[in-house]
Amino acid sequence: MFDSLSLTRIPADDEALRAPVRAFLDKALEGVAPEVRARSWGGFDAAFSRALGERGWIGLTLPKEYGGGGRSLYARFVLVEELLRAGAPVAAHWFADRQSAPHILKFGTPAQAQFHLPRICRGEVFFCIGMSEPGSGSDLASVRTRATRNDKGWRLDGQKIWTTNAHRSHYMIALVRTSGDAGSRQKGLSQVIVDLSLPGITIRPITDLTGDAHFCEVFFDGVQLTDDALIGAEGDGWNQVTSELAYERSGPERIYSSVVLLDEWLAHLRTRREPSQRSLALAGRVLSALAVLRSLSVSVNGRLAEGESPIVEAALVKDLGTTLEQFIPEAIADALGDDPDATLPDGLARTLQYVSQIAPAFSLRGGTREVLRGMIARGLGLR
Amino acid sequence: MDNEFGDAFGQLLADRCTPEAVRGIERGEGADALWHDLVESGFVDALVPEAQGGAGLSLHEVLPLVQACGYHALPLPFAETMAARAVLAHARRQWPDGPVTLDAIGDALPVEDRGALHAALTTAQIAGAAARVLEMSIAHAQQRTQFGKPIGSFQAVQHQLSVMAEHACAARMAAQLSFASASHLPDRTLAAMGKSVAGEAAAVLAAGSHAVHGAIGITAEFDLQLYTRRLLAWRVQGGSPSHWAMQVARQWWSGSHDRAIDFTLERLGAARF
Repeated sequence: MFDSLSLTRIPADDEALRAPVRAFLDKALEGVAPEVRARSWGGFDAAFSRALGERGWIGLTLPKEYGGGGRSLYARFVLVEELLRAGAPVAAHWFADRQSAPHILKFGTPAQAQFHLPRICRGEVFFCIGMSEPGSGSDLASVRTRATRNDKGWRLDGQKIWTTNAHRSHYMIALVRTSGDAGSRQKGLSQVIVDLSLPGITIRPITDLTGDAHFCEVFFDGVQLTDDALIGAEGDGWNQVTSELAYERSGPERIYSSVVLLDEWLAHLRTRREPSQRSLALAGRVLSALAVLRSLSVSVNGRLAEGESPIVEAALVKDLGTTLEQFIPEAIADALGDDPDATLPDGLARTLQYVSQIAPAFSLRGGTREVLRGMIARGLGLR
Repeated sequence: MDNEFGDAFGQLLADRCTPEAVRGIERGEGADALWHDLVESGFVDALVPEAQGGAGLSLHEVLPLVQACGYHALPLPFAETMAARAVLAHARRQWPDGPVTLDAIGDALPVEDRGALHAALTTAQIAGAAARVLEMSIAHAQQRTQFGKPIGSFQAVQHQLSVMAEHACAARMAAQLSFASASHLPDRTLAAMGKSVAGEAAAVLAAGSHAVHGAIGITAEFDLQLYTRRLLAWRVQGGSPSHWAMQVARQWWSGSHDRAIDFTLERLGAARF
């Protein structure tokens, strides 16, 4: 496992996507405040997502027959790297683009793919991911939300929580129990696509400590799903979810969450005639770490592009990545605090405040640090 | 990144550079026999152009050799000699027989390139030794029993080993970047970035492996110290992590990119592999 991540080159024709994407983003995000851009894949802007969709930049890796771009995962890496660099508000389509659409393509029926994928690619419908429940966070296999067979399809009862953007999404792919009980663990779990406009669904946003409201509680009270809501095989939900997580964990979003703050700070340093030695050493340390992490992230992406499922490697890079993402606001705050009487530019101060406050979430979302380290330990042969 | 040269050289070191042999050389029992075998293998001229009797390999092709030096705690300046011979050969100068340090380069190379070369060589050796102490620590955690079970079954120990694996992986990628050159010299920025990251990883691996091994790891008799002493030395040899971070920052400062990703991508673009 230690020698599986090798320096990997992004093919030139995929790299060529960078220039047009950057040109579009430079214009689209002109004048947007850094504390807004720092939200990036937490930032929801349906019109922006539709504009990306018009350019073919949603569902880039999906087959053309479903409205996708038919491009490789390397092209998607370049696209995502540019979106994060710019701090683009991508949350509206992000989860469908990253997880739901590839998932539907892999496990769904042709009819499901034909129905959902073109609309996802156009940026018209947004998906959220229904995994966590009260009492079922890291211990995902203890899921209790239940889909019960009836003559019209499935009846859905239960509750999800921490579902990002459920209140602004059209569909949820939910992990639910179709047989057994919470004690059955991984057995008896399935995935269903839930139309969030159906009767019996209540969605309540939860305000976070920064004042944003992105994640939600979602209640299902006798929601009637049709037969074709089931995605993949009944009872195979756990395997399906596990394969989905390598995609969720490997991307550049796990190394660049603090990059808008980093850029604001670097630009601030640039205004000084002579930055302190300490600030320069910090900048060099972070830039070095970023170069190595980015290389690791491209390498994991390459393994995925080869059709492998590098789950342990993705966990390893995510843990290294979120550690750097969390180090950046802490270290920048400390370096700036060297001079407590200095006045900071407003944008930098607000960006620092936002990223510092939200940073604890970096190692919670997509699998907590502790869960990831357990997965790495399993990869090392320790469990 | 692994290749046949690396496998053959690794096997040679596994046979000849055993922990007993390392201890013997450290006690001053003479290294002539081991050096003779290394020279006989031909690898020491790997970077020398073919026209001058070498193998004409590029830096990126010899990475497995230098990593193997770290993995086996080779107590001889094989990597330095290999690099010095290449530099002197390219400068059309004679190189001395026997093992040398980078001092042998003299003025045949600008001081910045010599520093980068030194950084790259230590980074690759850190990557090799990091892999070794990680392997030893995992094996120890699986075999050492406390409270009736292997200590590797305790979550605190598992997480410590997971963090070590992350840093070993980072050090390995840092070494690949440092050696990503089609010539016999590293790219200055990539070598600086590599040493900054590998130097930090060295400290994590040294401390973590000792924590996992407990008191036995501190003894001279146990092999772990052969690698951890070197990890700590290589961490600062040729410049500490902060020193190299500062070099990276100076390059950022003198360049035109303010955005971190732009600077990083520009510098990663120099990688040849």
